[in-house]
Amino acid sequence: MRELPFHTILIANRGEIAVRIIKTLRRLGLRSAIVYHEADAGTPAVSMADTAIAISGRTPIAAYLDIAQIIAAAHKASADALHPGYGFLSENAEFARAVIKAGIAFIGPAPESIELMGDKIRARNFVQRNGFPVAPSAIEEDDPATFTFRARAVGVPLLVKPSAGGGGKGMRVVRDLATLEDAIAQARSEGQRYFGDGRLYVERYVENPRHIEVQVLGDSFGNVVHLFERECSVQRRFQKIIEESPSPALSPELRKRVCETAASIARAAKYRNAGTVEFIFGGGEFYFLEMNTRLQVEHTVTEMITGIDLVAQQIYVAAGRELGFSQSDIVSRGHAIEARLYAEAPERGYVPTTGKVLVLEYPDGDGVRIDSGILQGQQITTAFDPMLAKIIVHSPTRIEAALKAHRAMRELVLLGCETNASFLTRILREEAFLSGHIHTGYLEENPHIASGEPASDLSGFLATAALLTRPVREPADAVPELHAAMGSWRN
Amino acid sequence: MKHSFEVDGVDYQFSLSRCQQGYRLRLSNKVIAPVVFSQQGDGRGVLTIAGESEPVRFAIDGEIIHVHIRGRTRILHYRDPLRTLACANNEAHHLLARAPMPGLVVTISVSPGQPVSAGTALMTIESMKLETIIRSPRDGVIDRIHFNEGESFERGAVLVTLSEEGR
Repeated sequence: MRELPFHTILIANRGEIAVRIIKTLRRLGLRSAIVYHEADAGTPAVSMADTAIAISGRTPIAAYLDIAQIIAAAHKASADALHPGYGFLSENAEFARAVIKAGIAFIGPAPESIELMGDKIRARNFVQRNGFPVAPSAIEEDDPATFTFRARAVGVPLLVKPSAGGGGKGMRVVRDLATLEDAIAQARSEGQRYFGDGRLYVERYVENPRHIEVQVLGDSFGNVVHLFERECSVQRRFQKIIEESPSPALSPELRKRVCETAASIARAAKYRNAGTVEFIFGGGEFYFLEMNTRLQVEHTVTEMITGIDLVAQQIYVAAGRELGFSQSDIVSRGHAIEARLYAEAPERGYVPTTGKVLVLEYPDGDGVRIDSGILQGQQITTAFDPMLAKIIVHSPTRIEAALKAHRAMRELVLLGCETNASFLTRILREEAFLSGHIHTGYLEENPHIASGEPASDLSGFLATAALLTRPVREPADAVPELHAAMGSWRN
Repeated sequence: MKHSFEVDGVDYQFSLSRCQQGYRLRLSNKVIAPVVFSQQGDGRGVLTIAGESEPVRFAIDGEIIHVHIRGRTRILHYRDPLRTLACANNEAHHLLARAPMPGLVVTISVSPGQPVSAGTALMTIESMKLETIIRSPRDGVIDRIHFNEGESFERGAVLVTLSEEGR
C-alpha cells in the first residue's frame, strides 16, 4: 500500500475523542496537532498531541467554533489534513469548505454531503424522495407564516427540533398543544445559540420507540458499505447513555433490511467517509430519523464487533484510497456495550456536577476498552459537555457483555466529582435491559432507576468517614475504652 | 459527643468511642462495633466491621470526604457541631431563588424593585446546552440580582433575592 499523503493532522476537538484520534494517528505514524482553549490546558489530549496550539474565545466553546483561528492554527502546525471529531464544527459545511480552500484535507464528507444530509430537513426530503420511510412532520422554512398551524396539524405528541441541531440539543416534546408556542420559542433560542440557526421543524413523536442506527462508510470511488447497526435506546433526555451492537430488537432479516436501507441511503447521497444513518424503530417498522455526517461518540461499539478502526478508515478515505474491503468482508463478532460516564447527578434530575478529580481508577481486563478525556487532578467544570469517558466492553454474547459492563462500572472509581457511574451500574442489572426490552422513554417511565437505592445502608460510608475525620477520631482516642465505659456508668 | 455527616441533603448523627478491638459507632438506629479502618496510603484502605473486611477508596477535601465502597460512591460532608448553629436563621425575611445546577445566566427578565408573583420568570439559565427558566418561588419584590448575563455560577448559588412585600 502506498504511503499516506499526510504528515500532520490537526484535531479540531477536545476531550476523549481527541485522545482517541491521537491514538490512531500514532499507530499510523502520523503527527498530531491539536487546538485547545486554556480551560483544557493540561488535559490528556493536549499533553498527548505532538503540537498544541492555544485558541481563545468569548467562552471556551466559542473558541472551538472559531473557524478562522482553527485554520490559522492548522497552517501554523503545517497540518495537511484536519479531523473535526464530533460536535463543534464537525457538521458545519462552511467549515469544511474553509478547510479545503486553505489547502487542507477535511477528514469527513464533502461539504455538499454535509449540507444535504447534515441538515435534518433536506435530508428528510431527500430520503423521502428516494422512497425510504419517514415520519409525519412540518418544516418551518416551507412557509414560516403557517408553521405553528402546520405544527398543530401534525398532532400530539410531537417533537420540536432545531433544523441544524444534533445530540438532542434544543429538542422538546409537546404533549399538549397549549404549550406548543413556548416550546417553539425555547427550541428556537437554543438552536440560535448552539448552532447559530433558529430554524425549526416538528415531527410526530413515536411513543416508546427504539433508536437504531447504522454505521456507513463510503470512499471516493462510489463504494459504500455498512458496518452493522448500533442500538442506542437507553437515553436520558434524548442523550444516549448506553449503546450496543448488535441490537437485541432485530431479527436477522430485519437487521439485514435496516443495514441495507442505510447503505442505500448513503449510496444515493454519494456519501463519502464515515457517517451514521439513524432510524426510529417501533412496532416492527423503522423510519429515517437523520443522518450524522461525522464520527459518532458510540463508534467504539462498531469497532469492537468488526475489528475495524473507523478513524483510520476515515483517514484512508480522505487520502483518496479505495476501501480495502467489500460488504461481505465485514463480519460482526460477539457483542459490544458502551456506557457513557457523565459528570451529572441522575438522582437530582441529571443536573451537571463539578469538582476536582481526586481519585481516578478505570477498570481493565480482557475486552474492556476505556476512551477517556480526563486525568486525576483535573477540574471538571460546566464549560463543556458533561461526558468524561466511555467504558466499552466486548464479549462473545450479550449477557456476558452486560455482566462484564456491570463489573467494569462497579470497579470504576472517580472521586471528587459526582458522576452517573452507579446509575449506569443500576441500568446494567435492570431486568428490562438484560432481557433487551428497553425503549427511549424507559428511564423516564422508571424514575426509580435514576433516584437511586432507597434507604441504602450507609454504615460503611459513615464508619469510614468518621475514622478519617480528625475532630471525630481524636476525642474518641482521648478517652480510653475503660474510661469511656465508666463515663457511662456515672451518668 | 454527637457528630453529624450530611449525605445527599440528609443529616446522619452519630457518636464514636473506643472499644476493645477498635471503635464503636453509634448511629440513631444501631450500634456498629468493632470498626477498624486501616489506611494503606494513596487513598486506599480496608474497612473491617465485626470481622468482615472490604476495600475502600477515599479522598478528603477539607470537610468533605468522598468514599467508594463496592461500586457505590458517597460524598459525606462533616458538619462541625458549633458552626451549624451559627449559620441558622440569618436568611429571615428574604426569599432566595437558588441555582438548581451549575451554569450560566443567559437572560435576566426582571429588575430590582419590581414586584413579582409566584411563577414569574426571573431569568433564563443555561447548563449543558439546556435552557431552564428560573421562576419566582412566591410573591415578592426583587431585591437583588446576583449575577449578570453571561456570568457563571455553581450549584446552590443565590441567583435572585426577593423581599416579601410590605417588609
